[in-house]
Amino acid sequence: MMQSTLRKVLDKAALWSRINSPWLVHFNSGSCNGCDIEILATLAPRYDLERFGVKLQGSPRHADVLICTGPVTRLARERLLRTYEQMPVPKFVIAVGSCSITGGAFHGCYNIVGDIGDVIPVDVYVPGCPPRPEAIIDGVVQLLTKLKGAVPARARTAETPFGGAE
Amino acid sequence: MSGESAFSGIQDGVGPWISSSRAPADNRLDMDTSAEHLVGAVTAFNALKWGYLSAITGFDSGTAAPSDGHIEVLYHFCRGPSVATFRVKLPREDPSVPSIGPLVPSAVMYERELSETMGVNVAGLPGRKRQFLSDDWPEKVYPLRKDFTMESAAATHAEAPTVGGEDEPGTFIIPIGPQHPALKEPGHFELAVDGEIVTHANIRLGYVHRGIEKGAEDRSWVHNIYLMERICGICSHIHATAYVLGVESLAGVAVPPRAQAVRTIFCELERIHSHLLWLGVAAHQAGFDTLFMYSWRDRETVMDLLEELSGNRVNYSVNLLGGVKYDIVGKAADSIRRGLDFLERRLKRYLKIVTTDESFLRRTRGVGTITFDEANRLGTIGPTARASGVSRDLRVEAPYMAYRDFPVVPVLDSRCDLEARFVVRINELFESCRLTREILNRMPAGELSVPAPRKVPEGEVISRVEAPRGELFYYIRSTGGAKPDRVKVRTPSLCNWAAVLSVAVGHKLADIPMIMVGIDPCFSCNDRSITLRRRGAPGGVPGALEQWSWEDLRQYGIKYYAGGGR
Repeated sequence: MMQSTLRKVLDKAALWSRINSPWLVHFNSGSCNGCDIEILATLAPRYDLERFGVKLQGSPRHADVLICTGPVTRLARERLLRTYEQMPVPKFVIAVGSCSITGGAFHGCYNIVGDIGDVIPVDVYVPGCPPRPEAIIDGVVQLLTKLKGAVPARARTAETPFGGAE
Repeated sequence: MSGESAFSGIQDGVGPWISSSRAPADNRLDMDTSAEHLVGAVTAFNALKWGYLSAITGFDSGTAAPSDGHIEVLYHFCRGPSVATFRVKLPREDPSVPSIGPLVPSAVMYERELSETMGVNVAGLPGRKRQFLSDDWPEKVYPLRKDFTMESAAATHAEAPTVGGEDEPGTFIIPIGPQHPALKEPGHFELAVDGEIVTHANIRLGYVHRGIEKGAEDRSWVHNIYLMERICGICSHIHATAYVLGVESLAGVAVPPRAQAVRTIFCELERIHSHLLWLGVAAHQAGFDTLFMYSWRDRETVMDLLEELSGNRVNYSVNLLGGVKYDIVGKAADSIRRGLDFLERRLKRYLKIVTTDESFLRRTRGVGTITFDEANRLGTIGPTARASGVSRDLRVEAPYMAYRDFPVVPVLDSRCDLEARFVVRINELFESCRLTREILNRMPAGELSVPAPRKVPEGEVISRVEAPRGELFYYIRSTGGAKPDRVKVRTPSLCNWAAVLSVAVGHKLADIPMIMVGIDPCFSCNDRSITLRRRGAPGGVPGALEQWSWEDLRQYGIKYYAGGGR
C-alpha cells in the first residue's frame, strides 16, 4: 500500500518533469532537408521552442521524443527502428512533413519502404511540405497536452507498438 | 569563347581513340568511343589538361522498337561553359567498362553509382561496398534499367553489411552516424584513428537515397518540377531551375527576360539563406553556439522575404515551364532592399568575427587545407574550390538567366583552409546582395511566362547551374513523350566528398566535424564503436588482434567497477 502511494507520487513527479522539459532527438530517414531546417529554425531564436523546456538532444538514450522527418528509405529503416529502440520508455514520436505521413512527393519511388507510421508508432503528425515552424510548435504542444492525461508507464516497443502489459 | 575554339585540339589529342565526333550544340562536343578505347581516350584527354570530370551518366535505351536495346555511358568533362562527352555504347547483356578512377580520382563515386543503379560492371573499381542501395537489395536488380519492376526489388538478399567490414587490422575505427545531432543528411562515416590522429576515412551514403531519378521517369514534365524541388530542401529552387532550364532548351521555349530576372533573384536569396544556414551550423560544430543563434536569427530575415514573395518559406515553387509564377513589384522590392541592408550590416560583423576571434581562428586557420593542385585534381567545386583559389563559378564562366546582363564578380581566396571557406562564403553573400539590388533596380519589363508544350521533342540536353554548394549538373533525355526518358542529377556535394575524405587523413579527430562541414554537409559525433585492441600484455600473443564482443565489453565494465574503478 505504502509502496503504491510512493509509486504514484513518483509517477506524478516524472510526468510533471517530462511535460515541462521534454528532450527531443531528431532522425532524418530520407527527408529532403526541408523539414529538418524548419525544425532547426524552430529551435533558433525567432521561434524559440526552448521556451517550452524543449531541448534537442544528440543521443536517443537521453531523449523522450523522437522527431522524425521524411519517408523511410530502405537503408534508413533499420536505423530508424534502432534509434527508436534505444530510447527509454515511455517514448513518443512526432512525424514532421507530408512525406512522413504518406510518402508525399516521393510516393512510388523504388527505395521508399513506407512512411514513418509503417515502421514505428507515431503520436503526432505535423503535415506540410515543409510545415511552418508554428505548426511544428503546435505539434509539440499537442503532444504535451496529450501527455497530461496519459499513463506513462506502458512499455511500447516495435513489437508491441500500442503498448504491452504494464 | 565560341564553341569551336573551346574544343580545338581535343580531336587531335584523342583522335586515335574515338570513332566519330559531333557537336549537338554550340557548347558541346560528343565523341564516340568503345569500352576498350576508353582508358586510352581519357589518358590522352587528361594530358591535354582541358577540364574536369563533371558527371558520369548512364542510360538504358530500353528494348522497345525502334531502339536496338543498348546501354550508353556518358563521361562529361567540363571547362567553363563547354562540355566534352565521351560516349560508350554497351550491350544490355553484361555491360562492362574499365574504371577511370586511377586517372580521375573523382570518378570513383560516379562509377559506383553507375554500377549499382544501371548494372554496368566497372572493372577495377576499388572495394565491393555498396554506396547508394541498401545491403539487402537483391543482386542483379538495377533500378534505372527500363525493365525494372518494383516486384523484383521486393526480394531481399542476405549479405554481410557493408558497414563495419574491410577494416585494416590494428586500427581503431570510430563509426559516426547515420543518426547524429547536427540535423542533416544521415551519412555514415568510418574513421580509423591512431590515438587522436585520423589515418583513414570512409563514407557510406544512401540513407536518403529515394530513387528520384527513376521516379522522374514516371511523372510528367510538369509534375517533375515539384519532384526536383524536393531533392534538397535547402537549395530547392536551384534544382527546379536547372531542370526547367534544361527542359525549356529542349522544347525550344524562349523565357521572357523578366521571368529570368525573377528566377535569378530567387536563386540569390536562396544562396543567402543557404550560406547563413551553413555559417550557423559550422559555428555550432566549432562549439560557437552564439554565432549559430545569431546567424539563424538573421537568416529569418531572408526567410521572411521568400515567404512574402512566394507564400512559402522553403519550397517556393517559383518555376513554371516557360516562366515563373510570381512577380516582384513595388512593396515586395522595397522589403527586399530593406532586408538586404540589414543583412549586409550583420554580415560585416560576421566577417569580423570569423577573421579576428582568437578561439574561433584556432579551429579554422590552417585546418583542413586543400591546396590549389589538390582541389583541381580531386574535382572540387563551388565555394570549397573557390576557397582554394580554383575559379569555378558557372555564374561567371557560363552565365545563364539574368547573369548574362548582370555579371557576377567571382570571390576567390588562396589560403585554402577552413578560414578561407568561411571568408569566401561570407564575401559571396555581399556579392549576392549587390547583385540582387542591381537586378531590382533594372528589372526588365514584360511577360512572366509563355506557354510551354506538354510533350517535349526528342533529344537530350545538359543543364548546369551554380547552386549554393557548387555546380549542379542535369542531364535530361526525351523520347518525345509526355514524360522524360532519363533525368540524371549530379549534386555538388558528391563531387566534394573525395576531397574531404582525403583531407581528413592526418587531422585530429576533433577537427573532423569542422572539415566535413567545410564543404557544407554537416554532422557531429555519435556514441557507438567497434573496438579492436592490440594486445601487448605478457599473457597474450604480442600484436595479436582481439575483437571485443558486446558481452566482453559488458564483463569488462562489471569487473572494472567491481574493483572500485580500477
